[in-house]
Amino acid sequence: MSSRILPDFELLMPQSVAEAVGLLSSYGRRVTVMAGGTDVLVAMKSTPSPEYVMSLANIPGLAHVLFEPAKGLRIGAKATIADLLANPDVKRHYPSLWHAAEIFATGQVRNTATVLGNLLRASPAGDCSCAIYAIGATVVFQSESGRREVDIDDFWLSYGVTARRADELAVELLLPPPVQGARAAFRRLTRTNDDLAKLNVAVQLEMLGDTCTGARLAMGCVAPTPLRLRHTEALLKGREITAELLQRIVESVPAEISPIDDKRSTAEYRRQVAGVVLKRAIEDACRAA
Amino acid sequence: MKDAQITLQINGEEYRLNVAVNRTLLEVLRDQLGMTETKYGCGTGECGACTVLVDGDKAINSCLTLAATMDGKRITTAAGFANFGELNYIQQAFTDEAAIQCGYCTPGMIVKTASLLAKNPDPTEQEIRHALEGNICRCTGYEKIVKAVKKAARTAPGAAVAEPAASVEVAQ
Repeated sequence: MSSRILPDFELLMPQSVAEAVGLLSSYGRRVTVMAGGTDVLVAMKSTPSPEYVMSLANIPGLAHVLFEPAKGLRIGAKATIADLLANPDVKRHYPSLWHAAEIFATGQVRNTATVLGNLLRASPAGDCSCAIYAIGATVVFQSESGRREVDIDDFWLSYGVTARRADELAVELLLPPPVQGARAAFRRLTRTNDDLAKLNVAVQLEMLGDTCTGARLAMGCVAPTPLRLRHTEALLKGREITAELLQRIVESVPAEISPIDDKRSTAEYRRQVAGVVLKRAIEDACRAA
Repeated sequence: MKDAQITLQINGEEYRLNVAVNRTLLEVLRDQLGMTETKYGCGTGECGACTVLVDGDKAINSCLTLAATMDGKRITTAAGFANFGELNYIQQAFTDEAAIQCGYCTPGMIVKTASLLAKNPDPTEQEIRHALEGNICRCTGYEKIVKAVKKAARTAPGAAVAEPAASVEVAQ
């Protein structure tokens, strides 16, 4: 295997969603779907190649990032990280996602990599995946038998594995409309700026004055998939956010995570910093108002 | 399919090509067309040596792009900025500031700079560093490169009042 030469494969270039779904129905798991290709092609340079690669390049549409105040945000399968950043509604109404997009990889990758691709890669380190998990979302699949919606809470099954069935194409991501009084933040740690995260965290808080009435906390690089910190969420809910509560949260996080040693960090370090990074993200969110 | 017929407009000229589907845009530029100004660095989208512009000002890694999926696109490489051997203001600024020690990262740096200045003709140092985060230099050092980008911004035709698109116009 070489990072220079791609192995042999057959390229499928459907002209419509209907044609793409038909191809998936015929070939199933023998097809690797490629939108931006920034993950798929890197993987193909280092692991056995799929028999078929299906590019979405010739399918018209699907690159939308559309906000409607009552309905929320719709992100098409071909919308890139750069497309998110170009949308002022994302910056205004989904600031944690916008922040994750801003520091995502490099400019060249942001111009090519897609938001849905980041979710479908099912890496525990995905920055947009982490931010989207905290916000909450629905992934829309299309197959010959119709449309299926999967809640992001049920989307990642294990490392590299999602709820997508072999005959389904992920066509769209739906984010809920912004809630009055909601506050959000995203933070991550990396070795160098353009590196994959060694730890990332996103928080979505619903506040009534200083009291937290609801929370979704997502953390990456600490489990086989992006992880929701449900125990810590329960600690926050219904309580006033004080220094004392934040200290309890710092102490509760290590018990909820199962990090490993890898080339970007160690399990021990991740355990030590996870609670602190989460605390700082909660403080960021409270300040953001 | 194993081969694709595509048309690319590269630095203002049209090329009709038959490409193997497992060839990246970088391989087609370098090996099929002999346009070696765009460099192979890491092959995994981290170093930026292979950066080219698509449809005007969109910088991408050509090592992570299948040529077969680029039918009909306008591609600009570092050589596309020169006009019959005369350097353009970005290339001249890199030369003047000696931001070109071994030169391997330079084509990617030039292309990414063009993409930055097209959108932001007067970037701050922080904006320059953010824009170049996907371009790795291993010998010149980034100080001279950042200085070169600042100089390019100052010396752009009609600096600070130029139409953004004008700064990346391809030499015909």
